[in-house]
Parts: sequence; structure tokens; C-alpha cells
Amino acid sequence: MEKTKRIWALVKRKLMGYNLSDGYLYKTAVYILLIAIAYVFLYPLLRMISYSFMSTKDIINPEIDWIPISPTLTNLKVAWTVMSMPWTLLNSLWFAGTLALAQTLISALTGYAFARYEFKFKGFWFGMVLMSFVIPIPVVLIPRWMMFVTTQNILDFKLIGTVIPQLMLAIAGQGVYSAILILIFYNFFKMIPIVLDEAAKIDGASNLQVFYHIILKMSVPTIITVFLFAFVWNYNETYVTGTFLRSALKVMPMQLGLFDSIFERMSAPIPNAPGGQFRLNESYKMAATLITMAPMMIMYFFVQKQFVEGIEKTGITGE
Amino acid sequence: MKLFKKKDASIITKPKKMKKKKKGSFKEISNRSGYKFFLPWMIGFLIFTAFPFIYTIYLSFNQVQLTVFGWQSTFNGIANYVSALLRNPDYTPALIQFILVEVVYVPVIVTVALILAILMNGDFKFRTVFRVIYFLPVIVISGTVMTQLMSSGNVQLGNVRQVFIFQILSSYSPALADIVVFLFNNFAIVLWFSGIPIVLFLNGLQKINTSLFEAAQIDGATPWQILWKITLPIIRPIILVSTIFTIVQLGMFPINPVYGMIQTAIFDTVAGLGVASAYAWIYSLTVIVILGIAFFLLKDHSKDYQYVDVVRLQDIKLQKMRKRVKRQQEWNEYFRKKGVKHGKN
Repeated sequence: MEKTKRIWALVKRKLMGYNLSDGYLYKTAVYILLIAIAYVFLYPLLRMISYSFMSTKDIINPEIDWIPISPTLTNLKVAWTVMSMPWTLLNSLWFAGTLALAQTLISALTGYAFARYEFKFKGFWFGMVLMSFVIPIPVVLIPRWMMFVTTQNILDFKLIGTVIPQLMLAIAGQGVYSAILILIFYNFFKMIPIVLDEAAKIDGASNLQVFYHIILKMSVPTIITVFLFAFVWNYNETYVTGTFLRSALKVMPMQLGLFDSIFERMSAPIPNAPGGQFRLNESYKMAATLITMAPMMIMYFFVQKQFVEGIEKTGITGE
Repeated sequence: MKLFKKKDASIITKPKKMKKKKKGSFKEISNRSGYKFFLPWMIGFLIFTAFPFIYTIYLSFNQVQLTVFGWQSTFNGIANYVSALLRNPDYTPALIQFILVEVVYVPVIVTVALILAILMNGDFKFRTVFRVIYFLPVIVISGTVMTQLMSSGNVQLGNVRQVFIFQILSSYSPALADIVVFLFNNFAIVLWFSGIPIVLFLNGLQKINTSLFEAAQIDGATPWQILWKITLPIIRPIILVSTIFTIVQLGMFPINPVYGMIQTAIFDTVAGLGVASAYAWIYSLTVIVILGIAFFLLKDHSKDYQYVDVVRLQDIKLQKMRKRVKRQQEWNEYFRKKGVKHGKN
């Protein structure tokens, strides 16, 4: 009797824990919940991967839900051709890379100014940095577009349809999510002891020298993080790119947006095509989506630490 | 020092010219040079954000056309607004849908992010794995990807309308049922927006001093009480930041129909840019109002009052003291003039 009671108490303690949150019951529940939500998060991606290997037969077959019976690579091949692939990816990479470099540089300068100097109206300008994140892009996009069109007409030099407008925006610190990049730098620079700056200044360094030799050289990991974020965001940007670049230069997400129409155009002239072989269906679309996502996903699995910690460093959590 | 040789050499070799002396202390001079670093951003902001923001208001009251002589704008009053809100059959519904998206999705996103962060907080295995999964959408999401996924129906986890509870709800209130359908049709994509809020919340939760929890536990608080009385009040600012971030983010993707409409309007040469500006301006007013409401709801009100009270109390005390001292001095003066000493008649 005594023994069973003791065992029961032990089991109860193991299950319920001392204060509910350290028992097995709670932990199991938490794991189940987290896994369930992770499934929801990954659901569209899993679905996409599953679809992109399905043949036309598999799609029509109502019995198949996840795993295709006759998996093919045809979808990927077709999507690869329609997206005019290796070139689109290369375009995308240098396009996003250039913009990201410009953004990183200007954010570092601005972040440094905010972290180290006390100039007039600093509070006001800091508020403006945050405002530049909050202001909806369409409002400022129309006059920006007018400006570039006017400049293009005056100079007689093609601007719309090239990288230049967005590069100018990036250099001016008004690129994609520039405010967040500035915040990341601002918070990191504030952590570097000011004594180092002062020591260098006593040795006769100018402000720019301090910035380059002391600050930048100490914050290489942060620079990499910011660059990666800027790169990903520029790669995935479609709104401003869709306005300034349109389809003059083939970049990945824009090409995905045009996928349906290009597919129709390319598959139309095939004479005597066997019925339904090259008709647009989900599997082609999903294959194209997979191709668009793949570079970023591969990159993410190598450098995921930088991303997550980078956001933690922003300190936009209100200190 | 090796690094800064150039400057040192110049000082040694040449006698320094008499420069115009800079005014102010060392610190003031160096602070002024802070502008050098800040100037590119400031100019960029003024040209590409501040000026366009105001110029769009002007444009929205004009008929703007691109002619051979450049942009021609003629004033036409509120015609653009009329055509946006009343004539165009698509704009107002799109705007209403946008508001619905914000109102329904933002609370869900922030709540889910908060719950996930609380669950993942503390001593917990595989935290990194889950964090990587939850953050993955931030890396891969883009407008066109989202459009493709949504158009192929891959974001729908199943048909909500077939669930029993939903049918009860539907017969009770169809409007509420519509909102639930609206939420669950895009549920996976909606959750994708909680990637950054989760990281923000996790970061905030880890910064809370654990001795607070211990103290509460000793006093006999249950985990539920601890959550409501300690954790949530402390991370309230983060909830505000996440909400604002989510509101801004949600607007930027094709889940918001207004964005696309404005873009089409920009390239619409017949109607001109005036109409597009009116679209954009109405839209951003809506966003600002939503942001304002969110800010007002989530701002920490109690803190303000306490702060004001303390300051005012100190002020009142100080004024009273000053008055008393002044009165004392006046009396002293009065007595001295009269030649009467204190205490004696």
C-alpha cells in the first residue's frame, strides 16, 4: 500500500513536474504543438516539392496525395528552360549583390553617425529613419518614377530598365528595408567601446580613418550579416524592381511572375504536340517556384546562424 | 604610428599654416563632423522619400500626363479622389479587403509568434532546429513566389467549411464564418509572416531577469499568473514593435490587392499619374490610421502617467519650498527695516 502510493507520487511528479512546466506531460504537449506548427510552416514548401516531381498522370490521379508514383524530372527541365535559367540566376545574383553592397556601405556610415556623434536634431533624424521604414512605398514610388523618367529624357540616357535607379536609391539609403540595416549597424557600433576611437584620435587619426581602421575592421561579422540580409531582400524584391526594371533584365522572381505567359508562348508553336504534354499545370509552376527559391534556401542552410542572430542584434526590440 | 604616418609627416615637415580656428570644444567639432557620415542618407531621404511623400499630395489633385515637353500637370480638384473611391469599381473593395487582411491577420500573426516564442523559451532541446524552420519563410518569401503558391492552392491546409465546429459557427453568424474562412484559406502563408516577430520575442524573453520568476514562484504564483503578471507586461514594447513590423510587412505582399492596383495605375497612360497618386495617398492614410490605432492600443499608458506624476509632484514641492523661502526673506526684510528683531516685540 505504502509502496504503490510512493510509486504513484513519483509518476505524478515526473508527469506533472514541480510546477507544471517541467513535467513530461507539459514537455510532450509543447513538442507536439511545435511540430504541428512547424508542419504548417513547411506545408506550402513540402507541397511545392511534391508537386514539382509529379508527372501529369499523378496530378490527375485523385489517389495520390503526397508521393508521386512515377516521379519525373521533366517539370524541372521544362521550368529550367522557360525561366532561361542559368542566365536569369546570374543576373539575379549580380543585381542583388550590387544593390546589397551599396546598401551595406551606406547603412554602415549612417549607423556610425548615429552611434557615435551628437549632432543637432539627432532625435528627429532617428525618427525619420524609422519613418522611412513605415511610409508605404507606393506613395513615394510615383514621384521617384517621374524623377527617373525626367532625368532619362533630359540626359537622353536609358535609366528605366537598368539597375541604375535602384542603385541610386540604395546609395541614397532608401533601398529595401534600409532602416533595419541601419538599426543593426547602430546597435552594434554602440557596443564598441568609445575609448578605442579616442585612442586613435589622440594618435592623429581623422574621423574617416577611425571609421575604417577601428570600427569597420572590428565589425566584419556584422557587415556580413547585413550584407546577407540586404542580398536576400533585394533578391526577393518585386515591387520596386517591377516598376524600374520591369522585364528588361531577367531576374528570378520577376521571371517567375511572368512564368505563365512565357510558358504559354513557348509551348504554343509546337506542332502536333501530344495532347496535354506541355499544357501549363501546377507541377510546372511549382517546379519554377522551387527553382526560384532554391538558391536562397541553399544559402540559408549554410549561414542560418548569421540571419537569426542578425535580427537579434538589431535591438529594434525597444531598448 | 604606422597607420597614420601621412598626417604626422606633414606636421613635422611643414610649418603649419594659420588656419581659421574652428569654433567650439573638441567634442563639438567632432560632433559636427558626424554630419559627414550622415549626409548621404540625409540627402537621399530628402530627395527620394520626404519630397516624394509631399509631392504625391500635390499630384493627387492634378491631372498628370507625360508629354513631349515632360510632365504636364493641370489642377483638377478632387476629381482623382472621386474617380478612385466612387468611379473605379475595384479600388474600394480592394481597400476594404486590405483593411480586413490587416485586422484579421495581424493579431493572429503576433499571437502565434508570441506563443511559439514562449514555448521555445527556457531550457529546451532542438530549439535551433525549430528556430531555423520558423525563420525560413523570411528568406524565401517574395511577391511572385507567394502569388504562385496561392494560385496553385498549396497554402490551403484543408477545407474549413467541412469542419463540424465551423458549420455551427456558420449557422450562428455567417459574417464571422467568412472571416474564419478568409483566415484559414491562407493560413500557412499568414504564419510565414511571423518569422521575424518570433525571433524578436525570443530575444526579449531571454533578457528578462529570471530572479523575477523565482520570486513569484516563492510567493506561490502559478505559471499562468507569471505569464500574465510578469512576462507579458515586460515584453509589451516588443509586442508593439512586432505589431508595427507585421502591419508594414503585410502591406508589401500580393496578399494586399491595393499594391498591385497602384502599380498598374502608374503605367496607365490614359488616366495619368494623378489617379495613381490618389490611390497611393488614400492607401497610405489607411496604413497610417491602422498604425496609429495599433500604437494607441499597445502603448504602455501607465508609464506615462507615473512619469508625469512624479515630475509634477517634485515641481509642486519645489515651488512650495521656493514660496516659503521667499516669504521668509520678505518677512526678514520687513523686520530689518522696522528695526525689530525676531522673537522680541
